[in-house]
Amino acid sequence: MELSLSGNAIKTFARCITCLARVGNELAIQASPSQLAFHTLNSSRSAYQSIIFKPDFFDVYTVSGNQVQCSVLLKAICSLLRTPIASIDNLSVKLPYPDASKVQWALECYSGMRKTYWITCNVEPDIQHLSLDRTKFPSNFVVRPRDLNRLLVNFQSSLQEITIIATEQTSLPSDAANEIGGKAVELRSYIDPTKENDSSLHTQLWIDPTEEFLQYTHTGDPVDVTFGVKELKAFLSFCESCEVDIQLYFEKAGEPILMAPKFGLDDGSSSTFDSTLVLASMLISQLREGNPSEPPQAATTTHGQDEHGASQAQHDRCIPNVSEHPSDHTRIWSDLSAKSGSGSGIGTEERQVQGETNLNANQQREMQRISTMQISKAASTRENEPADPNIFHPMEKDHAEEARDGPVSQRHPSNWVDADEDDDDDGDEDEMCVQSTPPYYEEH
Amino acid sequence: MSSEGPDLVCEVDNVQGIVDALTAVRWKRQQDAVVELSEHGVVLIVEESSCLQAKVYLQRELFIKYEYGGAQGRPRFGVSLGLLVNCLNTFSVPAGGRSSSTIEIRYPGPDMQLLLKSVDSLDACIYAEIRTRIPETISWDYNFEPAGTTPLSFTVKSAALKEAIDDLEWPGSSVQIILQPDPPSVTFKGEGHGDLQIDFMYYVNTDLLIAFSCDRQVSYRYKYKFLQATTSNIPSSVIRDNRGSKLTIGRGGMLKVQHLVSVARPSIPHPHVDSAGYQQPSRIAYIEFFVKPEEDESTIND
Repeated sequence: MELSLSGNAIKTFARCITCLARVGNELAIQASPSQLAFHTLNSSRSAYQSIIFKPDFFDVYTVSGNQVQCSVLLKAICSLLRTPIASIDNLSVKLPYPDASKVQWALECYSGMRKTYWITCNVEPDIQHLSLDRTKFPSNFVVRPRDLNRLLVNFQSSLQEITIIATEQTSLPSDAANEIGGKAVELRSYIDPTKENDSSLHTQLWIDPTEEFLQYTHTGDPVDVTFGVKELKAFLSFCESCEVDIQLYFEKAGEPILMAPKFGLDDGSSSTFDSTLVLASMLISQLREGNPSEPPQAATTTHGQDEHGASQAQHDRCIPNVSEHPSDHTRIWSDLSAKSGSGSGIGTEERQVQGETNLNANQQREMQRISTMQISKAASTRENEPADPNIFHPMEKDHAEEARDGPVSQRHPSNWVDADEDDDDDGDEDEMCVQSTPPYYEEH
Repeated sequence: MSSEGPDLVCEVDNVQGIVDALTAVRWKRQQDAVVELSEHGVVLIVEESSCLQAKVYLQRELFIKYEYGGAQGRPRFGVSLGLLVNCLNTFSVPAGGRSSSTIEIRYPGPDMQLLLKSVDSLDACIYAEIRTRIPETISWDYNFEPAGTTPLSFTVKSAALKEAIDDLEWPGSSVQIILQPDPPSVTFKGEGHGDLQIDFMYYVNTDLLIAFSCDRQVSYRYKYKFLQATTSNIPSSVIRDNRGSKLTIGRGGMLKVQHLVSVARPSIPHPHVDSAGYQQPSRIAYIEFFVKPEEDESTIND
């Protein structure tokens, strides 16, 4: 296999390597006459990225035979890309024969220096190939990377996992009593409830997909997916530097999510490269479903069950420390059920303690039936948009109701903070203002 | 000259330049240097484990005043290089400061110390004494001899040399330097957990290799950490000026690396700088490194 590239392709190539290096450690290279594929899988097998280059991407691209493959350490390629990209005139990669032990990478610099690296191929490559059909995902959205970065600024920078809750956009404007409007998507920080130290910032962000996203498709019940932020940020900065928008496909909790660059209006077939990032999502939904979440035992045994076949692989989330009881302690604060007055649906529930108590299922149901939303100090939330629970507007709702109607309003008015406190990018319309925070919240 | 007077009284107007020159040979935190004074100037020598030696030549023309009184032989003394550099740093003023950082250096003091004193400053006087030691004899004779009738040498842009040597850290092995006449080129090679080869071709049109002299292929290996010491602390002014650094391979494979460090301060008129600002060669400090080759390497000949 031999390939060579120059000019802007080198910059793109370097960005691809940088992104791959932020996801996994090993780079699997698969070259066939029609395309060159780079894959990597992270060590906990919860993130997989692949980048496909068409032959047109390169100045020279030749592959002998049907397919050539090998695997090298990404760290080694990052070392060779420490040479300032702007000083590289030409980059070439050569695998002299299919089972060669070293791949040759040569850089010709404008200064006249020629640097040739021989990187040893991994002896037992762990080349996995994962291909998911994007059309099978029922929901997706397209966003500009810098817009999503702007939203992520509201989250603690060390946040490890984030939940996206997607609900169906209402096509008609809501009635006056339900001025939530079209904030159909919620971004929420996910903090592992079993972690002892919970001094981190929790964030919930409700956004209007028509304002923040370029495109948004979701119908039906609300779904949520919880996945890793590190890989999301890596892919975001990759798409941003390539000046393409990012498309995120998802289905529901537990199903993998897929991200890909969205090249212009077409399906990307005219681009010379494409990339896919697949992330496993947490099995456990952050939404209150009819039953408490699926048994977490499945989650604790994920390590062994990731060896799926080549096609649709179900990446179970590895949650090694999950408690025996569902970690579904975080109930959604907002009301995803029907309009006010028409029954509660999910109902407004207490926000449980994060990391302080592990309630069994019975106790959880108990708490839901508590009609007065007197939240004790122990169970106080640490959201950065605190709300006085005592002013749950639809007090007439039946809190014990567990069944869920079709979702209409996505947010409970009591969640809105004052307009001048709201740092959300969406302009606030005429929502109700939250009463001032009770004193015992302020120390959080 | 009185035998009781100091061996040397000199004045330096650009302390930062002297600091830059001395910093170039600081590859370790703690190094003992030997300083040799003569009527020609000051030479400072550091070495490590008989494999690496560096010399800094500060000719008398660098100094605005140089009074040498050591009639008998060349006085030598040992001093801690780090201490000397840190001390000189306290005297230097930031660039652009209007006050000059002229200092007087005197040796020896009453107790064989090195004495430094700020002069020409209106408000304050800084005074320092540095203890010196009787130097040990240099254990290894770095007598550098040419390899043959034709010198084996090349001059390469300093920034490029530093970049290449920094890149050669990755293989984690010793570095092989190969000179070959046809095509005229220099190759640096490292073979460790990965292999890296950096080639400098001597073309007329690129100015990467500024000079090249070689009549037969030679190849020697050097320990990476010693080779790295020759460029790791090159002052940024040298990288910016990007003059050439000259590398010469001598008899037995001994490698000599030479850098030029400008000690001038263009804003201050100096007797050795003419009105056009042209730096006379004497306003340059010379740095030389000598690196012994690894012993098991034999010359590869055609």
